Amino acid sequence: MTQSSPLSIDLKDVTKTYRGGVFALRGVSLQVHPGEIFGLLGPNGAGKSTLVKIMMTVVRPTTAQGQVLGKPVGHNGTLANVGYLPEHHRFPPWLTGRQAIEFAGAMCKMPRKLRVRRTDELLDLVHMREWAKKRLGTYSKGMQQRIGLAASLVNDPQLVLLDEPTDGVDPVGRREIRDVLTQMREQGKSVLVNSHILSELELICDRVAILVQGLVARQGTVASLTSSSRCYEIISRATSELASTFDGVEFESLGEGRSLLRIPSDDPIAVQPILDRLRSSEVMIESVVPKRESLEDLFVRSVTDPSTGLALDPGANRSSKSDVRSFGTPSPPPPPSEPPVGGVS
Amino acid sequence: MIQTLALLHAAYRELNARKLFWVTLGLSGLVVVAMAIVGLNEKGLTILWWQFDLAFLNTRIMPVDVFYKFIFAQLAVPFWLAWLATILALISTASIFPDMVSGGSIDILLSKPIGRVRLFLTRYLTGLLFVLLQVSVFTIAAFLLIGFRGGAWEPWILICIPLVLLFYSYLFSICALLGTITRSTIASFLVTMLFWLLVFGVNSGEQITLAGRTALDISLGYSQEDLQEAVDAEDPIEVTEPLQLLCDEDQQSLDTWESFHLWFFSAKTVLPKTAETINLLERVLRERTGMEVGGPPERQDMLFGASQQISTREFEEKLQETMDDRSITWIIGTSLLFEFFVLGLACWYFSRRDF
Repeated sequence: MTQSSPLSIDLKDVTKTYRGGVFALRGVSLQVHPGEIFGLLGPNGAGKSTLVKIMMTVVRPTTAQGQVLGKPVGHNGTLANVGYLPEHHRFPPWLTGRQAIEFAGAMCKMPRKLRVRRTDELLDLVHMREWAKKRLGTYSKGMQQRIGLAASLVNDPQLVLLDEPTDGVDPVGRREIRDVLTQMREQGKSVLVNSHILSELELICDRVAILVQGLVARQGTVASLTSSSRCYEIISRATSELASTFDGVEFESLGEGRSLLRIPSDDPIAVQPILDRLRSSEVMIESVVPKRESLEDLFVRSVTDPSTGLALDPGANRSSKSDVRSFGTPSPPPPPSEPPVGGVS
Repeated sequence: MIQTLALLHAAYRELNARKLFWVTLGLSGLVVVAMAIVGLNEKGLTILWWQFDLAFLNTRIMPVDVFYKFIFAQLAVPFWLAWLATILALISTASIFPDMVSGGSIDILLSKPIGRVRLFLTRYLTGLLFVLLQVSVFTIAAFLLIGFRGGAWEPWILICIPLVLLFYSYLFSICALLGTITRSTIASFLVTMLFWLLVFGVNSGEQITLAGRTALDISLGYSQEDLQEAVDAEDPIEVTEPLQLLCDEDQQSLDTWESFHLWFFSAKTVLPKTAETINLLERVLRERTGMEVGGPPERQDMLFGASQQISTREFEEKLQETMDDRSITWIIGTSLLFEFFVLGLACWYFSRRDF
C-alpha cells in the first residue's frame, strides 16, 4: 500500500512512448505543493500537454509512478476534485454558457442546487453573466475561454490544470484570470499552468518546470533558477583602464565615452567598493541597476544546445529512450537582456 | 446517475439543435397524415373526398382495422421507419462519436470522474434517443389513427417501438465503432450504409435460396408421390423410370439450393437480422391481433427450376411456416450477440486509446 503524498502533484518517472517510437515523456518527475501556482513551460512538442493529459486520464502513460491529490496517477475518482481546462477546448456549440458550466458540474457529480449556485458565482467571476443564456457558438474565442475556465472551476477543485488559459483573452481578461488564480492560491489550492506567455507566468508562478524533449530540464522557483545570472550593472563614464582594476567585473563600451560595468553578484555590498572607486576617480555614474535573467532568458537558455548554441529541435524525441540529453549542467547564463524590476538609478 | 442524466439531457439539447431531427419528425407526421386521409369502405378506397371503386380492395375483402394495420406494418414501418427515417437518423447521429472523440471535446469528458466504458455506452444510448423519440411519436400517432379510424385499439402496435429501436441499434453499433476509430462522420456513415447493404444482400440471398429450396422441396414431394403411385400401381418401367429421373433431378437441384442456402444462412446467423427484426412486427400483429391479409391467389407455377408446377399458395404457406419457425430468440438473440460484440470491440478500443 502506497503512502498518501502531502503534495498536490507528486510524479515520478512518468514516461510515454507513442506509436512509432515517439518518446513524448522520458522520465518526468514533478512536484506541485498545495497553495502553489506552478508553471509548466517548454517548447512545442516538449510533452507538456501529454503530461497534463496523463494526469487527467486522457492519455495512458507507458509508465507512471506517483500521486495526484494523494491518489495514484490515473485514479478516476480523484478527478472529482480536479479542474481541467484543455487547450483548444470545445464545448458543444448548441449549449449556452450556463449550460456548459452546469454540464461540467453534473459530470463531476455535483447535485443540481449546488451546481446552479456555483454556476451563478462563476459567471460573475468571469464576467459572463450577461452572455449566460447565449449559445457558445455565438461566443468569441476569449469568451469561450472564460466559460472554459469557469467550467474547470465549477467543482471547486483542490487542483486545477490549465492549458493555455489566456489564449485569445484580452489584456483585461488576462489580468482577471491571473487574479482568479491568485485567489485560488490564497485558498490553499494548487494551480498548474501550461502556457507560452512567459511574462504572465513570471508574474504569478511560485515555481516552474521547463520541459524539453520529454524531460524536465529545470525545476524550481524563478528566483532560484535565475540566481546564477543575478548581477549589478553600472552605467558610467569609466574607462577600460579603470575597469581593469576591478576583479571579476565585465566592461563593455557603450560609445560616446559611456560604458557598462557588470558585477556578477546579487549582493549590494559587493557593489559599494566599486562605486567608491568610481566616485573617488570623479567618474560620473548614470545608473546602478540590479539585474537578473528573465524567465524568457531562462527558457531560451534551457532549450538551447550548449554544445552548438542553437535551439534544440522542437517536438518529441524520436531516436531512442536512452538518447537523453543531460540537463544536469546548465549552460552559463547569457548577459541579461530584460529591464530590471525596480531598478536603482 | 447525475452524470448519466447530464449526458442524456445534453443529448436531448443536441437533438433539439439539429434541424434534421425536426425535419424527420415532420416527415413522420406527414406519413401519419397520409395514412389518415386514406380510407376503406364497401366500394373500395377513399382518399379525402375522392372515392376509388376497387373490387379487390374493400371492406368486404379486408376489414378496415386490418387495412390500417396492414398499411402500418407492411408499408409505413418497413418503408418509412426502417428505411428512409433510418437513413435520416443515421445522418443525424453519425456525428455523435466523431464529435465526442474530437480534440478539445474528449479532453473535457475524460477529465471527469466517469469510466470510459460507461461514457461510451451512455453516449451510445443518447444516439438511440433520436430513434426512440421518432419511433415513439410515429407509433403512438399510428396507434391513435388505427384506434379512431379503424376502430381497433391494439396495444400490440406499440411493439413497433422496441423493434425499430433494436433494428436501429444494430446499425448504430457499427456507426459508433467506426466513428470512434476513424473520427470521421462521413466515413462512419458511409461504411455503416455499406454494412447495411451487405446485411441486405446476405438476407436477400438467404431468402432467395430458401425460396428455391422450398420450391424444390415441394416439387420433389410431388415427384416422389407420382413415383410412389406408379410403383404402387405396378406401372411398367417405361413409366416409373422418367418419374425416377424427375425425382433425381429435383433431389440434385434441392441439394444444390440447400448447400447455397446453408452458406447464406450461416452468414446471416452471425450478422444482425435487420429485415427479420422488422418483420417481427407483422408476425406479432398476425399472432396477437389476428391480422390476416390473405395469401396470394391460388395458381400453379414453375418455380426455381423445379421439374413440375407447384401450388404458389402451398409454396407461400410453407415459406411463411419456415420463417415463423425461426424463434424470436434466434432472430433477436443472435443479432444482439453481434451488437454486443461490436460494442465490446468499440468499448475496448475507446478504453485503450490515447486522445
